[in-house]
Amino acid sequence: MLTEFGKIFIFILLAVVFVPLIVYVAKFIRPARPTKEKLKIYECGENPEGSPWIKFNIRFYVIALIFLIFDVEVVLLFPWALTYQDFGFYGFMVGIIFLLILGLGMAYEWRKGDLEWERPKPIPPILDDEPPAENEELKEESLTI
Amino acid sequence: MEGFPIISLITFIPVIGMLVILFLPKEKVQNIKITALAATLIQLVLSVILMANYNYSAGGIFEESSFQFIDKFRWINIEGLSWIGTVKIDYFMGVDGISMPMVLLTSIISVIACISSWNISKSLKGYFALFLLLDTGMMGVFVSLDFFLFYVFWELMLLPMYFLIGIWGGPRKEYAAIKFFLYTLLGSIFILIVMLGLYFSAMEILPDGQRVFTFNILTMMDQSNYTQDGILSPFNPNNWRMLAYIALFIGFAIKIPMFPFHTWLPDAHVEAPTPISVILAGVLLKMGTYGILRISYPIFPDITRELAWYIALFGAVNIIYGAFVALAQKDFKKLIAYSSVSHMGYVLLGMASLTTAGINGAILQMFNHGTITAMLFLIVGVVYDRAHTRGLNDFGGLASQMPVYTGFVTVAFFAAIGLPSLSGFISEALVFIGAFHVESIRVITIISTLGILLGAGYMLWAMQRVFFGKLNEKWSGLQDLEMREYIMFIPLTIIIILLGVYPSLMLDVMNTSVNTLVDFVSTNFTNISLGGL
Amino acid sequence: MNYENLYSSLSLIQPEITISVFLLLIVVADLIFDKNKALIPFLALAGLIIASVQVILQVTNTGYAFPFSDVYLSRKGMVTVDAFGAFFKLIIIISSFILVYFSYVSDEIKKSEKNLGEYYALIFGMILGMFFLSSASDLILIYVALELLSLSSYVLAGFSKLRTRNSEASLKYLIYGATSSGLMLFGISIFYGLSGTTNLYEINTFLASHQINHLTLSFASILIFAGIGYKISSVPFHFWTPDVYEGAPISITAYLSVASKAAGFALLVRFIKSAFVTSDDSLGYWEILSVFDWHSLLILVSILTMTLGNLTALWQNNIKRMLAYSSIAHAGYMLLGVAVLSNQGLVAVLIYFFFYLFMNLGAFFIVMLIANKTGSEEIDDYNGLGYTSPFLGVALTLFMVALIGLPPTAGFIGKLYLFIALVDAQMITVAIIALLNTVIALYYYIRVLKHMFLTKSTVETQTVSVIRPNIIFIIFMLAPVLIFGVYFGPVVDFAKRCVQILGL
Repeated sequence: MLTEFGKIFIFILLAVVFVPLIVYVAKFIRPARPTKEKLKIYECGENPEGSPWIKFNIRFYVIALIFLIFDVEVVLLFPWALTYQDFGFYGFMVGIIFLLILGLGMAYEWRKGDLEWERPKPIPPILDDEPPAENEELKEESLTI
Repeated sequence: MEGFPIISLITFIPVIGMLVILFLPKEKVQNIKITALAATLIQLVLSVILMANYNYSAGGIFEESSFQFIDKFRWINIEGLSWIGTVKIDYFMGVDGISMPMVLLTSIISVIACISSWNISKSLKGYFALFLLLDTGMMGVFVSLDFFLFYVFWELMLLPMYFLIGIWGGPRKEYAAIKFFLYTLLGSIFILIVMLGLYFSAMEILPDGQRVFTFNILTMMDQSNYTQDGILSPFNPNNWRMLAYIALFIGFAIKIPMFPFHTWLPDAHVEAPTPISVILAGVLLKMGTYGILRISYPIFPDITRELAWYIALFGAVNIIYGAFVALAQKDFKKLIAYSSVSHMGYVLLGMASLTTAGINGAILQMFNHGTITAMLFLIVGVVYDRAHTRGLNDFGGLASQMPVYTGFVTVAFFAAIGLPSLSGFISEALVFIGAFHVESIRVITIISTLGILLGAGYMLWAMQRVFFGKLNEKWSGLQDLEMREYIMFIPLTIIIILLGVYPSLMLDVMNTSVNTLVDFVSTNFTNISLGGL
Repeated sequence: MNYENLYSSLSLIQPEITISVFLLLIVVADLIFDKNKALIPFLALAGLIIASVQVILQVTNTGYAFPFSDVYLSRKGMVTVDAFGAFFKLIIIISSFILVYFSYVSDEIKKSEKNLGEYYALIFGMILGMFFLSSASDLILIYVALELLSLSSYVLAGFSKLRTRNSEASLKYLIYGATSSGLMLFGISIFYGLSGTTNLYEINTFLASHQINHLTLSFASILIFAGIGYKISSVPFHFWTPDVYEGAPISITAYLSVASKAAGFALLVRFIKSAFVTSDDSLGYWEILSVFDWHSLLILVSILTMTLGNLTALWQNNIKRMLAYSSIAHAGYMLLGVAVLSNQGLVAVLIYFFFYLFMNLGAFFIVMLIANKTGSEEIDDYNGLGYTSPFLGVALTLFMVALIGLPPTAGFIGKLYLFIALVDAQMITVAIIALLNTVIALYYYIRVLKHMFLTKSTVETQTVSVIRPNIIFIIFMLAPVLIFGVYFGPVVDFAKRCVQILGL
């Protein structure tokens, strides 16, 4: 008799086998009539240009993050809206505090200038991996740390 | 002397000196030296007072009431809960006939070493601070009667010793220092584990009737204090007493140093500065044998009787091996170092005999070896200070150049060989008398006497090479002893001669305790099954 | 729903609320005083002081927060406030206080002063995560707290951005962290699948009363242990430790080595005790359910951890890396205390941690002072330091001696209690292995002393003086290490009060 875990194991095994099997089977039964257009990379109808492995502007990620935060907000606010009346004023305040904290995040982004698309050119930090061979301060009479 | 904590004072006076030194500015070289000397001198004076007030008829060993100058109070007191026992650790110090000679020895050697340190010039402040800390550690080991306290002092010594060898030592000081540290720490962990095993096997009965685990060494000596199922309890049929004894013995044997564990000693001795060699040979080595007498013997008398033969065997190996290796040395200091290994073998042999004469001889040998070897290292120091070499073959004919020095050397060498009327003879004779008396180790004893012959061989040969023959022209400018060196040599010489002609001075101190110990070891913990092993 | 419950629950998590409020205040202050960041450390201090008072009150004021009494008769909840958790919170608070001063002095942090607001906000995020980790008794809350702690520390590890190693540390930490928390989440899901609950107490009840597949359960337990083992950097989840410790700013390295490890240990002990232990016997040994052999696993892991940590530390030339491996080894010793599975072992762990806090942070502080000036963390550059700066040399010596565990320092007492617990549990062989490890450890700690005192510096040096606040701070760190080494009664007493974990 199989244990509970054994069933899971069989499931994993099946999953591992299934994918290559289907790909292989498909290769036999599908018609293969390649054209130049078909062999191109599919990108929503646009003609691909250049390598896709380029660096995206970091601002896209920032915007995506902001979007994600407010997306999650909705997840919490829906159930809250359904039941907050049962909790009375207390329940209402919980929602307000939650929104205030989120708002603080928004304020933070605003204040730090992350919402402005045209930002002043960021200055990359200066790395000091190599400590100067001759530390200037060491030459002084005495050191204080 | 009632109520006056003289033992604590003897132990901690160097620490007070150390604190004073730490607050002195670095430039006040003279003040630092004088403070250190004052601390050790006060310690010596107090030890002499202790000796003068010592009651010769009190046995000590296992009875708290017959210990003298006891300082005892609760140090750690942690109330227990239902699942965890009350933890009580005593600050418990006292002396009996075994520790009294060692206390005296430590304070004498400390003063001598302090005088011998007068010429140290590098980081003087640190040197004397560490030196005094080391002094406290050594003294504490000899007077502690609580295992926990004993262990704290035992470990306290390691760090100062590491720095003293490592900073002020010779060319291979770093190697020697770390080797010393690793070896002794390895020994200490064996001691620690046995200490914890004993802690969980013996219970002390408090005045209010409560039974608590204890680190008190005296409590551990009484069979009736053991629990039924403690791992080191004699009542437990599957006890680990044999293993524990061996572990404890190895822990102490590293310090002695006993044959397979001795390799740190030549390195440490050779690299250490003269005063530290003096301390090392004079006091530190005695801690190993003292630990065996104070802890292993009375706590495990059953196993001691069982293993006495092996202890004797290792003693004999030490004697012969140390002597042979000493014969082959070309370095004066290394020669003395290996002669130490050989001489500590006599102590082991005497202890293994389990007779009054043998153990008396062993303790006396500890004291004598302390003074004689201290003097030998000072002798090497004197010649090294002047000639900056220690090669035995580099010298020759120094007797005509430095006659007074040669005189002192002769006394020390003859004492080390065991010439009658010098102190070494008495103790070695007692050891052999005691050991010969015991049938099982008679053969070993007879073989060991070879060590005396070899001892005479390497000592006299060394003497001949350094002091007799034609004077090497290179050394014609060597000066004879100066005032400071007289101050070091004369007291040691007096002690060596005095104990050679009148050994009762020291023997009377220890005799009662040794009798008690022999009696205790040979009769106690009988009817114990030695299961488990 | 019962409001009384909610109010009493909120009053039980006061320290956490305080930390959250101050986290927000720090962000607000950062936004308002954009130019002047001098206020922020003091704001952080104020928050820590209030939280510390509330934590101290928690030693006696215990209970369950957020119980689900509607569903079950049990009053046990998601957060368990007890003396055990309070002890670890205290450790975290103390190290946070020290961290504030650390950061105040640190050059690396000073150079990124512009981001000081984020720095403290992230630290408060860490504290919040660690607080919840030390008292959570629900797998979901445990996971969320762990992630909060981890995410904050990933950023902090790469905070100063002054060296490439910094970013490397951060990225490595993130990747390892993501893997192990993924594993842990898998373990949690199996636990949930088996028992139908995420609450540790209910899992306990379930395991005691149902027949379950031991293989599945062991698998899940090991997965969860992977997540915890990563936090306490036990072998084989330790690979991130040296790189992160070396690359991160020293203040954060020091903090990670103590506070985040403390939270991990609190979690490990609570997880085992709450989910697997049915009762204590009269001698304080835990009656553990026979569904999973925690004893063997922990012994194996701890021996591997300490041996590997010590042996690898022998070859390190960078002192931060050396301290990283030594902290792995120390985690091994402490795991041994947990492996005893008794209250005695737990007392040993608590005592050890309390002392470890001071000696480890003290050592790191001196390393930081030296790095501030010389810009180097190589042990070779410590040559002759004992002469150019005797105070730093002696202080570092004492910390190292304490880390070795020699008397009369507190490190010895920590080890002593550990070995007492081991010998009492008749685990002699393990105790001997641990003791031999101490001898190995001696070698690499002594190496630092050797370089400071025995080896002369090749370049010309001059005296280094230490400014007074730093001297006072070092003495403040040294005092417990030395005083508790000879008089340890109060600490042991306190630790004994704190091993009572609610919920049996």
